[in-house]
Amino acid sequence: MGIDFTRTVLENQSLVFSLALRFLRDRAGAEELAQDVFLQLYRKLDEIETPVHATWWLRRAISHRCIDEARKRKLRPRIGLDAVPEPAVENRSGDPLLNERLRVLVEGLPANARMVVLLRYQEDLDPTEIAELLDMPISTVKSHLHRSLTALREKLEKKEVCR
Amino acid sequence: MNLENELRDALRREPAPVDFTAKVLAGTVVSPIRVLPWWRRPAALALAAGLILGAMIPTAIFEYHQREERRALAARNQLMAALAITRTRLQQAKARIHRQTRHTL
Repeated sequence: MGIDFTRTVLENQSLVFSLALRFLRDRAGAEELAQDVFLQLYRKLDEIETPVHATWWLRRAISHRCIDEARKRKLRPRIGLDAVPEPAVENRSGDPLLNERLRVLVEGLPANARMVVLLRYQEDLDPTEIAELLDMPISTVKSHLHRSLTALREKLEKKEVCR
Repeated sequence: MNLENELRDALRREPAPVDFTAKVLAGTVVSPIRVLPWWRRPAALALAAGLILGAMIPTAIFEYHQREERRALAARNQLMAALAITRTRLQQAKARIHRQTRHTL
């Protein structure tokens, strides 16, 4: 059995790269990490049974590698949610500035919460899948989601009041 | 504003750099680091060789002793046969001498 490695890279590169990019907010670092994860997959190709299994494996690997990388870089203390700059932004749907602001706010979340939010809203996974992927209790996942959304909403509302 | 929808919009996937696949594939060519099956790894080969040698040495020693024993037995039998022949010849010679002596007297 086995899978076509090139095809797996083509089909999953956006997923892996985007998760790393949104998590690290460092294009070069994200690209390097994503490449490394694919090479890690290449070394384990014999253990991968189907394309779905490959996607699951890649999602899991990049999530854990991103969290490890963030801990290494000590990203978390560098940018707290309160320290995030507040660019002037018009609050309407589809606004690229609002999108950028949300991405910056997400970047300010603690590592585990940030990955939970990314898997929920980028990858559209439900809390059960996220819990399985990150080896976390489902209650922790739900708690991260709830607290993150509250924090993000407060931050956005605070900006609105200031305006 | 629906925050969850805004998040989905803000966090949607972004395409990887155009040369991403090429770089990954180059990485697999530059360092073809696919893990060898366990039976082809050097440590496994060394272990297998050690086990085979470990099994062969006592067998070889046993066979050497058996062969030496067989050779010693054959040599002993040859010696016994030679002694038997010599004894027969001596007895024949003794009998002849005895006969000649009696004839002369």
